[in-house]
Amino acid sequence: MFDIHSSALSGNVLSDMFQAPVAAARESVEPARTPAGTAQIRASGLAVDFTNGGKRIRVLHDVNLEVQKGGFVSLIGPSGCGKSTLLKVLAGLLAPTEGVVSVAGVTPVEAVRQRRVGLVFQEAALMPWKNAIDNVCLLMEVTHKHRSRSEIRDRGMEMLKLVGLEHAALRMPSQLSGGMRQRVAIARALALDPEVLMMDEPFGALDAITREAMSDFLLEIWERTGKTIVFVTHSIDEAVFLSKEVYVMATNPARIIERLPIELPYPRNEASYSIKPFHDAATHLRRLLKEGHRNGSFA
Amino acid sequence: MTAATAKTPLQADAPSRNRFAAQTMSHILPAILLMAAVLAAWEAIVRLAGVPEFVLPAPTQILRTLAERQPQLLVASLVTGEEVLYGFALSAAIGVALALLIARYDRFGNALYPLIVLFQNVPKIALAPLFILWFGYDLLPKVALIVVIAFFPIALNMLVGLRAADPNLIALLKSVGASRNEIMLRVQIPNSLPYLMAGMKVAITLSVIGAIVGEFSGASAGLGYMIQFASTQMETSLVFAALVEVSVLGVLFYYAVEFVERRFVAWAPNNQVE
Repeated sequence: MFDIHSSALSGNVLSDMFQAPVAAARESVEPARTPAGTAQIRASGLAVDFTNGGKRIRVLHDVNLEVQKGGFVSLIGPSGCGKSTLLKVLAGLLAPTEGVVSVAGVTPVEAVRQRRVGLVFQEAALMPWKNAIDNVCLLMEVTHKHRSRSEIRDRGMEMLKLVGLEHAALRMPSQLSGGMRQRVAIARALALDPEVLMMDEPFGALDAITREAMSDFLLEIWERTGKTIVFVTHSIDEAVFLSKEVYVMATNPARIIERLPIELPYPRNEASYSIKPFHDAATHLRRLLKEGHRNGSFA
Repeated sequence: MTAATAKTPLQADAPSRNRFAAQTMSHILPAILLMAAVLAAWEAIVRLAGVPEFVLPAPTQILRTLAERQPQLLVASLVTGEEVLYGFALSAAIGVALALLIARYDRFGNALYPLIVLFQNVPKIALAPLFILWFGYDLLPKVALIVVIAFFPIALNMLVGLRAADPNLIALLKSVGASRNEIMLRVQIPNSLPYLMAGMKVAITLSVIGAIVGEFSGASAGLGYMIQFASTQMETSLVFAALVEVSVLGVLFYYAVEFVERRFVAWAPNNQVE
């Protein structure tokens, strides 16, 4: 009742959610909800049309995609390739015109409603009138109404610890750096213990150095929690460094042109940037994106 | 060198207060000097050219009247102040209620919003004689006039604030099943407060104008009544004294609103101390 989607975790829902959140997160790597190694997100024959002044425009064309449980998949492409649109469809924010999508075995809208999907946007989207901890607790306050305030706050503090911001719990968003704000947004998404984290260019507004630090941070969170992550970016290095798999998208029509597994061993760190598999993947992606660009509307 | 620079942000208190006072001084000093110069020039022109007092009294004469007639002026100020207070409070209540209804209920908004905009284009001051006709000569017609003048900036600013809430934040709340009322309460209303305060600052100024115009159209007390009465009696220095009193009243009200703003929406970017 309190947490519909974790019925498989049964008895220790309460302890998972509120007393040992990090441990709970680790457990979810195990076949708790969706068995590991099977596709957790699946899209086939996906198409999206927008109507603009009576004219139909196809913004996404025949997308097929599969994300394994615990996977880290990036969608990369030039602007206008529909990568954000695709993420919106996967996150249930936009209904596809054609095709079938399932997230954790149900429709995206249902998956989000069951809180199996956490969302992170390019802008942190924090409430400027609330401090960090209150921002982290926002969604829990909506979804866990019968939990006491102190339980929710404890969980919020755990999440802030997880993202390394327990010292900044009482700071207002205006007193946090861009990277810190984004970490608060990630903590807010993780607070509901979703299976999937969908991130739309989450580090796009950050400077290059903060960006790399955030990539390290995100991989660490991913390894510790075993979440499935779908990550939209237009940075080649970011996509290669983070992902198990990269889907390359192109414009005209907006579509997926290649699925590239990244053969780079985890855990990845500073050194990963300078080894051959990284270089090969980055070079390949760069070439693909250039071709996509040349064949696109700018040719 | 580095140790000294690192220390500066910590050793704030006492010196910074003095520096703050000095900064405030240097901020307002030019304004004070300019005003003194204007008053001195005014005084000199009136005296040297021998301008009759009923045309333009000298500042010193106005000051004298201000002191001598203060009891009378104070009573008038209280009457006008009361009108402004009630009128503004009612404008705020109506403005906020309208904004909330329009933002919350789309149908209501679609029906009402064009009418409000249309009404805004009626010269409201022209309604004063009607209000006298309907509500008599006392408090009520002035409050009514203030409300029709001052509710609009409050309603409009608040509405803009409600609609300017971060769409991603709203999408996030929707996605986890938050109701529209919850989204209003948690995001839209807090987000609208700085806008509301901006609207209130405009409205409080308009409220003072509304009260004075209301008194011009028919009253037996108040600063507006006093200004009109004194001018028919050629007591021009009393007119100026009452003007000074109105201005002081307006400034007091304005800073009361600004105080509330600084106190309660300190998080808004405009209200943050550097």
